[in-house]
Amino acid sequence: MASLDDPGEVREGFLCPLCLKDLQSFYQLQSHYEEEHSGEDRDVKGQIKSLVQKAKKAKNRLLKREGDDRAESGTQGYESFSYGGVDPYMWEPQELGAVRSHLSDFKKHRAARIDHYVVEVNKLIIRLEKLTAFDRTNTESAKIRAIEKSVVPWVNDQDVPFCPDCGNKFNIRNRRHHCRLCGSIMCKKCMELISLPLANKLTSASKDSLSTHTSPSQSPNSVHGSRRGSISSMSSVSSVLDEKDDDRIRCCTHCKDTLLKREQQIDEKEHTPDIVKLYEKLRLCMEKVDQKAPEYIRMAASLNAGETTYSLEHASDLRVEVQKVYELIDALSKKILTLGLNQDPPPHPNTLRLQRMIRYSATLFVQEKLLGLMSLPTKEQFEELKKKRKQEMERKRILERQAALEAQRRLEERRSDLASRAANGEVVSLRGGPAPLRKAEGWLPLSGSQGQGEDSDPLLQQIHNITSFIRQAKAAGRTDEVRTLQENLRQLQDEYDQQQTEKAIEMSRKQAEEEDLQREQLQMLREREWEREREQFQAASLHTRTRSLDFREIRSFHLEPGREPRTHFAHVLDLGSSPAQSSAAPKSPSPSSALEPISVWSGPQALGQEFFPQSTMSQQNEVPSLNLFDEEDLSSPTAEGTTSPLAAEPSFGPSAHILKEYNPFEEEEAVGNPFTNPDSPAPNPFEEEDEHPHQRPSSPPVPGNPFEEATCTNPFEMDSDSGPESEEPIEEELLLQQIDNIKAYIFDAKQCGRLDEVEVLTENLRELKRTLAKQKGGTD
Amino acid sequence: MNVVFAVKQYISKMIEDSGPGMKVLLMDKETTGIVSMVYTQSEILQKEVYLFERIDSQNREIMKHLKAICFLRPTKENVDYLIQELRRPKYSIYFIYLSNVISKSDVKSLAEADEQEVVAEVQEFYGDYIAVNPHLFSLNILGCCQGRNWDPAQLSRTTQGLTALLLSLKKCPMIRYQLSSEAAKRLGECVKQVITKEYELFEFRRTEVPPLLLILDRCDDAITPLLNQWTYQAMVHELLGINNNRIDLSRVPGISKDLREVVLSAENDEFYANNMYLNFAEIGSNIKNLMEDFQRKKPKEQQKLESIADMKAFVENYPQFKKMSGTVSKHVTVVGELSRLVSERNLLEVSEVEQELACQNDHSSALQNVKRLLQNPRVTEFDAARLVMLYALHYERHSSNSLPGLMMDLRNKGVSEKYRKLVSAVVEYGGKRVRGSDLFSPKDAVAITKQFLKGLKGVENVYTQHQPFLHDTLDHLIKGKLKENLYPYLGPSTLRDRPQDIIVFVIGGATYEEALTVYNLNRTTPGVRIVLGGTTVHNTKSFLEEVLASGLHSRNKESAQVPSRSTRKR
Repeated sequence: MASLDDPGEVREGFLCPLCLKDLQSFYQLQSHYEEEHSGEDRDVKGQIKSLVQKAKKAKNRLLKREGDDRAESGTQGYESFSYGGVDPYMWEPQELGAVRSHLSDFKKHRAARIDHYVVEVNKLIIRLEKLTAFDRTNTESAKIRAIEKSVVPWVNDQDVPFCPDCGNKFNIRNRRHHCRLCGSIMCKKCMELISLPLANKLTSASKDSLSTHTSPSQSPNSVHGSRRGSISSMSSVSSVLDEKDDDRIRCCTHCKDTLLKREQQIDEKEHTPDIVKLYEKLRLCMEKVDQKAPEYIRMAASLNAGETTYSLEHASDLRVEVQKVYELIDALSKKILTLGLNQDPPPHPNTLRLQRMIRYSATLFVQEKLLGLMSLPTKEQFEELKKKRKQEMERKRILERQAALEAQRRLEERRSDLASRAANGEVVSLRGGPAPLRKAEGWLPLSGSQGQGEDSDPLLQQIHNITSFIRQAKAAGRTDEVRTLQENLRQLQDEYDQQQTEKAIEMSRKQAEEEDLQREQLQMLREREWEREREQFQAASLHTRTRSLDFREIRSFHLEPGREPRTHFAHVLDLGSSPAQSSAAPKSPSPSSALEPISVWSGPQALGQEFFPQSTMSQQNEVPSLNLFDEEDLSSPTAEGTTSPLAAEPSFGPSAHILKEYNPFEEEEAVGNPFTNPDSPAPNPFEEEDEHPHQRPSSPPVPGNPFEEATCTNPFEMDSDSGPESEEPIEEELLLQQIDNIKAYIFDAKQCGRLDEVEVLTENLRELKRTLAKQKGGTD
Repeated sequence: MNVVFAVKQYISKMIEDSGPGMKVLLMDKETTGIVSMVYTQSEILQKEVYLFERIDSQNREIMKHLKAICFLRPTKENVDYLIQELRRPKYSIYFIYLSNVISKSDVKSLAEADEQEVVAEVQEFYGDYIAVNPHLFSLNILGCCQGRNWDPAQLSRTTQGLTALLLSLKKCPMIRYQLSSEAAKRLGECVKQVITKEYELFEFRRTEVPPLLLILDRCDDAITPLLNQWTYQAMVHELLGINNNRIDLSRVPGISKDLREVVLSAENDEFYANNMYLNFAEIGSNIKNLMEDFQRKKPKEQQKLESIADMKAFVENYPQFKKMSGTVSKHVTVVGELSRLVSERNLLEVSEVEQELACQNDHSSALQNVKRLLQNPRVTEFDAARLVMLYALHYERHSSNSLPGLMMDLRNKGVSEKYRKLVSAVVEYGGKRVRGSDLFSPKDAVAITKQFLKGLKGVENVYTQHQPFLHDTLDHLIKGKLKENLYPYLGPSTLRDRPQDIIVFVIGGATYEEALTVYNLNRTTPGVRIVLGGTTVHNTKSFLEEVLASGLHSRNKESAQVPSRSTRKR
């Protein structure tokens, strides 16, 4: 099969790597390879494959190094390279280094410490609730006292001759007072009071934290209550002579302290500063962009390629939407930046720093993503693009069909070669068409004839030169020279082949057209053939003549587009390789596809003109002033920005005029920011999104761990899980948990040998159990 | 084995694990340096970390809407700060990461301080070293030894740093050390001790060939840190000084305000990454290309952007241009300053003689050249002293040693006493008596023929003839030929096969020239990965400080002068 006439002759074109058979086109080579070598010669294939894989690997490594997502710390270890050393930058990705967690230990120690406190607080809260459960003002004092005494057993008066806090002796004047929360005794001076609103706040907060959400209407009330509470506690210290405290509950300093601490915690939990609200909105917007932008880019890319998968209107809607979000991000971050600036006293420098940094990162974000937004074609352009695309598709189809046909023809040809020459006219006429092709099979004559027309192609000349050199060298018998020359030649050919592929595609397209024509003629001929057999030869020769004419046509046609778009394009190609360009590269020599983008660029830009200049200006305006760390980082987003500069750039067109004056070395240059304009209030973005922040979980993530139950028993930490239920069961549950908690604590204390603690705890436990039993009785 | 990546991964994990929301990164002095080596601010900003605070800073405000990520060394001081912080929490929730092993009792006291239950995480993440290059780390310790022995505090810090490195790379190595250095042995033992104590931490997936930790001492090669350098990174460090990737250019005449301090980080400076190991001449031409490229892209003021093509070209190039303008101005300034210093200090000539002193054995010619340069008024006292130091080290025991004469010349030149004293101190630090192996005259036949051939062929570049001693050591190690009597194993087991993963640690500091050597070895040796570390990364200045800090000269002043006197008599 390998028809090597002269082993020394250098062959070029679409050679099969296995049998050195020369094939006409890329398509044929492919089909040939698939048909004939699919089974055999795994070695070569393997070699090629491994080469490709190696290349891929290297590329992946490179990408990995550059990409930010190096964190994919899979468990795959590194392979050692057996073929050479490696640049340390290229070392295989490694897993996360060793870590060790002390969290469980930490929690154990903390739980031991905190449980005591939590139990204490819970106990107080439960009692407080009971003390406030009835209508104090309309109940007689005797009854109140009875109730109070039932909540907590009061310490016997006789047991306490002195005030435990200040040490003063009790007598008629200095009377004993009982803390309603723990039952202990203190003097009047040391007594504290808890106002009802504060009590309500404390008890209701613990309930609220159990139900799903704090309703916003309740929070102002509680704030109010707390203020009043603190005032009343102040006044209580000064002098409250009357014994009657309808709206207050007496307690000792310790209980009061504990409760006040608790109150502070509640306040902190409820209070969300403005910056958090704004920031959450900002993040939502960013997320939205992250969702929408890729979708839009996909659409725009497809539309710009003339595809009809997406509708233009939809895409432009989306574009406007995305741009609105960008505007929103800008506005929000601006708002964050200026938060509290007019306040007196001015905010802490750290707060300002935080605001600046948020603004800075938002700017970076917009900068990075905005550059990736390509523009859309206008309607007319789109129509044009669609047409182009259709044509191209048509051409491709023809091309494929032609390739298939050609393959078939070759098969037939071979058969007919073997068959005797004595064939009927039809066969001869069939062969009449391909005849010149056969001559051209070596590709050399073909490319040679092209070489005449394309003397300008330096590659080809070079190849010719080298071929002749090789021949000469061979003749002279200098084998090593021949080898190096051949090496050169191969490289050149690779280059050339690539060019030729394009040309070949062009060629075969022409051929296909021409063949169609021929077939038509043949059809006609065939009809007449039987009648006029004699004329048949004449016709065949005629065909050959038209064919050769066609060839000339192809050449000229090929030349024109090959040169024209290049000059037309010169500036584009010089502007550094843009990804879009390189992706189009295999196609670009084919004239129509190369012309396509031009029509996009040169057209007027309808969209995005309003937004882009503004935002780009504001970015550039902001960046230098906020440049705090490293100079070069600022430009980091540009890497992404360039990913689709070809398509994105038209939108910059209008802005370029302004930018022109912008010298990056004079970074202080002030440029008016469109968002500072107070006259143009943007549609208030906050209205439409009000429901979102609520959906955001604001509570910190609770990491799962074996001690979770211990922390969860703290009723205040119990989050939404229990959902909106009635109060009674919750409390019961709470009590049960509390009991468990105390049991665990007793166990712990016993183990540590702290007997006094055990006692206190058992007391607690008993009390809790009692309450539980009572409650059960009540609910039943 | 990429140390930069190892640390970066730790930091990323911390940030990731803290979930969404505004965050503040709470660090101490050292961890600030550690983080800044692997992350830039804008990079970390994108992960919602907006504030960077020092745990010891007093005027931090209460910001309950922030999450705090604490990355701290587990020192007593930091634990105390943290306890105070937790008692009165300023942020809503705390994620605590310690850069090394923390004691159980410290965990307990932290836990007991956390009454408000604000701590959500307590972990050890072993990023306890400065990752300079992917294969180079440092501990930024200057003056690690007192005399020949460790400063105890620095020994424990070095042990921590080294064990953290091993943990972050997940290596449980065999240890070899330089026999001639007591400090190397001591460090080896300490590391081993930690590995034994924390055995469950060091249980990694076994590799076929266990990794190797080789501990060396700077005194075995005092020559390398005394030489002028001509590759970009090393040269910048030698002439300008690199401190955690930062270069102080404030002394450069006529420097603009934003270039007072520049950052050279291979992680996000492409030009630097591509050129850090190239020599000065190549960088010159590369920077020229960069400039031309830049000029081409630079939008011309007078050029009218009339056509769409013009605008398109402009806008397309603008981001690149902006990025470039930063890079270009930075590197042009740095390289410009380097070349100014080179010509001002006559460094080409100085370096040539330095290289001769370091690599060749022709005493009379060397002496002549040194003497000639000492007369040259353009040679600074620093360079003059370093030439004499090199001479003193190389020809310490030479029969016709004329060090006293050179010392006289130094005095006549007006070189300050500090430098003159340092000459004897350097000899004391890294002289023949101390060295375990021979720096200057190779013993085995292969090396002799190699040097002979080298002499025949002539050298390619006079200024970069010198090959650090580390190269030979590692070369032998890789080939399995490193002598066990000079570099014994710690413990009974030895390595059967040739090592694959090697960690070299130099007590007393490594140099960028050695980093380059290791880089090249990594690139040329199949299947071998080497990471170099040192108590610090030296240039000549810092090396002399190290020598000074070791306090050797004062104690041994007399003994250093005795041999020189005796040689004079002969």
